[in-house]
Amino acid sequence: MVGALAAGVPLFGPGIEAAELTALFPLLTFIIIVFFGSYLPLKGAIPGIAATGGALLVSLWGVADIATGAGPRHETLLTFVEGVAGEGVTLTFGILIDPLAILMLTIVSLISFLVHIFSLGYMNDEGEIDLPRYYAGLSLFTFSMMAFVFSDNLLMSFVFFELVGLCSFILIGFWFREAGPPSAAKKAFLVTRFGDYFFLIGVVAVLGTFGTAQFAGSESFVTIATEALETGATEGMTTFLGFGEQAWITVIGLLVLGGVLGKSAQFPFHTWLPDAMEGPTPVSALIHAATMVAAGVYLVARMYGFYVLSPTALSIIALVGGFTAFFAATMALVKQELKQVLAYSTISQYGYMMLALGGGGYVAAVFHLTTHAIFKALLFLGAGSVIIAMHHKENMWEMGGLRSEMRVTYLTFLAGSLALAGIFPFAGFWSKDEVLYETLVHGLGGSPVLLVAYTFGALAVVLTGFYTFRMVFLTFHGEPRSELAEDPEPVRWNVKFPLAVLGVLSVVAGFLNMGVLKDIIGEENLFLHEFLDGVTMDADLDAAGLSAHHYAEVLESNFAAGYEVAGLSPLGPGALATVLAVVPVIGAWYLFRGPDVDPVMTKLGGLRTLLMNNYYQDEYQVWLATGVTLPIAKVANKFDQGIIDGLVDGTGGVSLFAGERFRRIQSGVVTNYAALLTLGFLLLVLIFALVGGWI
Amino acid sequence: MSSLGTLPDWAATAPALILLGTAFVVLLVDMVAPDEQNSVMLSGVSVTGALLALGTTIWYLLSGTGQPGAGDLDANGAIELFGGSLVVDGLSLFFAAIITSVVLMVVLASYEYLKDLPNQSEYYSLVLLAATGMVMVTFANSFVTALISIELVSLPSYALVASLKTNKGSAEAGLKYFLIGALSSAIFIYGISLIYVTTGSLQFDAVTAVFENGGVGELSGLLGLGVLMIIGGVGFKIAAVPFHFWAPDAYEGAPAPISAFISSASKAAGFVLAFRIFVDVFSYSEVTDAIDWVIAFQILAIVTMTVANFAALKQTKVKRILAYSSVAHAGYVLIALAALTGGADGAFVLGSGLAHLMVYGFMNTGAFLFIALTEYWDIGRQIEDFYGLGRQAPVACGAMTIFLFSLAGLPLGGGFLSKFYLLWVSIEGEVALLGIALVANSVVSLFYYTGIVKALWVEEPAGELEITQYPTGLYAAIVLAAIMTVLLLPGFGVVVEFAETAAGMVA
Repeated sequence: MVGALAAGVPLFGPGIEAAELTALFPLLTFIIIVFFGSYLPLKGAIPGIAATGGALLVSLWGVADIATGAGPRHETLLTFVEGVAGEGVTLTFGILIDPLAILMLTIVSLISFLVHIFSLGYMNDEGEIDLPRYYAGLSLFTFSMMAFVFSDNLLMSFVFFELVGLCSFILIGFWFREAGPPSAAKKAFLVTRFGDYFFLIGVVAVLGTFGTAQFAGSESFVTIATEALETGATEGMTTFLGFGEQAWITVIGLLVLGGVLGKSAQFPFHTWLPDAMEGPTPVSALIHAATMVAAGVYLVARMYGFYVLSPTALSIIALVGGFTAFFAATMALVKQELKQVLAYSTISQYGYMMLALGGGGYVAAVFHLTTHAIFKALLFLGAGSVIIAMHHKENMWEMGGLRSEMRVTYLTFLAGSLALAGIFPFAGFWSKDEVLYETLVHGLGGSPVLLVAYTFGALAVVLTGFYTFRMVFLTFHGEPRSELAEDPEPVRWNVKFPLAVLGVLSVVAGFLNMGVLKDIIGEENLFLHEFLDGVTMDADLDAAGLSAHHYAEVLESNFAAGYEVAGLSPLGPGALATVLAVVPVIGAWYLFRGPDVDPVMTKLGGLRTLLMNNYYQDEYQVWLATGVTLPIAKVANKFDQGIIDGLVDGTGGVSLFAGERFRRIQSGVVTNYAALLTLGFLLLVLIFALVGGWI
Repeated sequence: MSSLGTLPDWAATAPALILLGTAFVVLLVDMVAPDEQNSVMLSGVSVTGALLALGTTIWYLLSGTGQPGAGDLDANGAIELFGGSLVVDGLSLFFAAIITSVVLMVVLASYEYLKDLPNQSEYYSLVLLAATGMVMVTFANSFVTALISIELVSLPSYALVASLKTNKGSAEAGLKYFLIGALSSAIFIYGISLIYVTTGSLQFDAVTAVFENGGVGELSGLLGLGVLMIIGGVGFKIAAVPFHFWAPDAYEGAPAPISAFISSASKAAGFVLAFRIFVDVFSYSEVTDAIDWVIAFQILAIVTMTVANFAALKQTKVKRILAYSSVAHAGYVLIALAALTGGADGAFVLGSGLAHLMVYGFMNTGAFLFIALTEYWDIGRQIEDFYGLGRQAPVACGAMTIFLFSLAGLPLGGGFLSKFYLLWVSIEGEVALLGIALVANSVVSLFYYTGIVKALWVEEPAGELEITQYPTGLYAAIVLAAIMTVLLLPGFGVVVEFAETAAGMVA
């Protein structure tokens, strides 16, 4: 269905036309590295860099295409199950390139490209072994994420969602010879898998309800659901268990949300993410910024047209997001290891994105996803640079004073931190502010739940500023607190180059969408908003049901979420957010400046213990596994062993006995055969004679 | 009506004519040079003939000979010859393709198998003559030609089964096959005569016309008996329980390539006759008042599947296990007839049976040719004798694993999809009981198939097992069958399309 979305002639630029290449390049690289990795120079890094670089070019070209009027593109690439004569479901792999997808492809390829280059410094220069396995994993990871991003239906999304999970398992457990990484990899796999069970049920529910899992187009499940609610034309959907249409849409949305919460590490499934720090730091950057964790939020954005139909689902998303943003930020306050702080900040920032999605801020969420990808990748790579310098010591209390020895790392890390803290005019300020603003105006428009979520989000801003600058001051300022910190190992260009690129982007990326100033500069200069609205495209993205404008329209319709927008200038909330962000930074400066730093946080006493132990989240989850699930599993096992297996064994025994009898029919005597044949035939005749009434 | 271009209509029977001609050339070669070691020559001629016949068949199939024309979809396109006693259509060509493929593999494998055995020219010519008969069965369009063709298949087959004259098992199997065959032929002929009595005709079209013009009235009971007897005759050819008694003994006693030949090609020939007679002549909607033959096939299908699979469970000889598995597969294909209740699209139902026979033709032939290989090595017939063979002959055992798993219906070969289609057919035709029987029996069959695979790969050999010779022809045939079995998994769609076109012409 080439160009079925576009009215009239499809207008593809070469970048959109070739968008599959973004996934195929890394896939090809994966195959090459798997077979020839150990013979390649730099153990497979070169093809990886070439593939992701190529993918980046294709993506940028695609952005240019859309910006100059082409797209969207929606095409079925492979049909692997075809419904017969219009009955049953048709399962396909396809490609859907719209502004959202091409933006995400660009982010993934950019981050992956830089991570590959950084890996030269972090892995090759450090003399790690098994590098082909590492680069093969990175390539497969990139491939899976790319294919997930341009999936045109939920089933395909699910397939690649799972592959993304598998790849993170492989990469987190890369150093499997040590004790920590395999355990962390298993945890990441199992926790996300738990959420994915719900997602899988959701996929089946979507197929069962609508008969299709397409995201876009007039036959998509999103369109069918919208029409069912809007016009009452419900023949396209079959609800189950006696639910009404909207209630059933909510149920499906929440099932899919299970997978999202697992992948995006939202409360209560966030526990795997801090442990995942056991993996190599470039992998952490990739997981946190562009792939694994981003996949969850991206999925909600991808099927946002579906979620806006259910106010309940949106409220839950907003509440979970706001709470997670706050909750994770509290734990980041007391962590002593650099990467741990960043891990909790990731959880917190994805909470913001969920808050935005739940609060009706589609553009805000995508914007924050973009800026966060940049500054979080930057922070992780910066942390990686520090870790190289510190010979793989990660405790911030052993650092200090690194700024003079590591200028590039310090300056870029500072830019990333300012962005994370949301300080004007760095990238994070614009996006975070827009998240809060969108939630606030929709909340004031008559959704008190959103105001609760907003309060959580606003409080988290304070915490974010504080823990970010606590981290910066402890790591880079003051006097060196260990011998290693006095004489850090220098890093090469392959570390500095990615940092520089991301550092610059962290400063300027916010200008994509200066929502705070929209009354001053005019809405038409909110570039990202216009881009996601499809304003640049010749085709009508509204009609395709993929534009931000369309989502807002449905969101405010009474048949759907029924949100209302309160009239409120963005300047006031923007000023508030700035104050909330700057004050804790000053506080952190006050507490952690100077040559000798007091471990102030120990004064929190019992609260600190609670935070250090992550609210005992791990403990209760382990108890759930061993105290509840294990006994149930034991009972089930007993049932299986005793009754099911007994039944099966019994059947087998009876079968063998019957087999022995049947075998004996074949006596080997030909007269017996003739007799049995004739008797059998006569029996057949007799049956028909009696039934057919011949006698 | 003919899309052959310049070729005359009779040329449509070329596959049969080529096989027949090759049989005479083989005899001629033997006559000219009787004393020399001419086995290369004999098998060369036979392989060439089989290849030619297969090539012609595939060419006809692809060029649309005897099939609905591309431009004119309403035209049936079947070519009728000799006053309508023979017909060449999609169904005949589809089966001719199966049969000639099997013949090709069998003659290819026979070269080494027959080494140092006397009477090779007779062997090859009998195989080719039987194959001619099988192809003629696919062309048969009247009860007379059907009977003659069937006998042309049977008589050489009896001799072939007994062709290891000094081997007691082979001779005994041949005799049993002959005796049961004679009994079954008698039933079949009796059935035909009853049909003639009730309808006054032997030509398929003419018999159909009688039903269409008001039926047989008072004689419907007699007609029913005749139909049942024809079922009996066909049941013998396809080895359906209870007409299967000859099969395990004959398959086991015969030289393994002949077992492959009879269990695959001969069965296919039996099925094409059954399909033509029961779908075309006694079409369900016309004769259902006289006799509800679908019920008969439902009974036969279930009984055949169940008895054969359970009997196979306790066998200790591999060849005999395969013999029973071959009987069981007749039961599976019978679903295609038993599900013709009118609930499902006839072409779809029948096409699934055809497709299964196509896949079966390769996987079953391959499995029996593997037995031929072990007989060539002379390692024994018991399952214990196969222990550890996987390490000695990994290629052949790998192929055998594919055959066995495909026979069981695992997605390693086309057998998975064809069984799946049969299951689907049984659901569409609202005879779910058959589907249940299919699944349950497939599970049972998995037990003995895996037993063989386990013997090949997992078990340790009891004594010294050393294999030094790797016969080229046998290997070529086995690998060919394995490749086709695997290729039919992705290529199943194409086969089904041809099968449904072919089936659509009679259904």
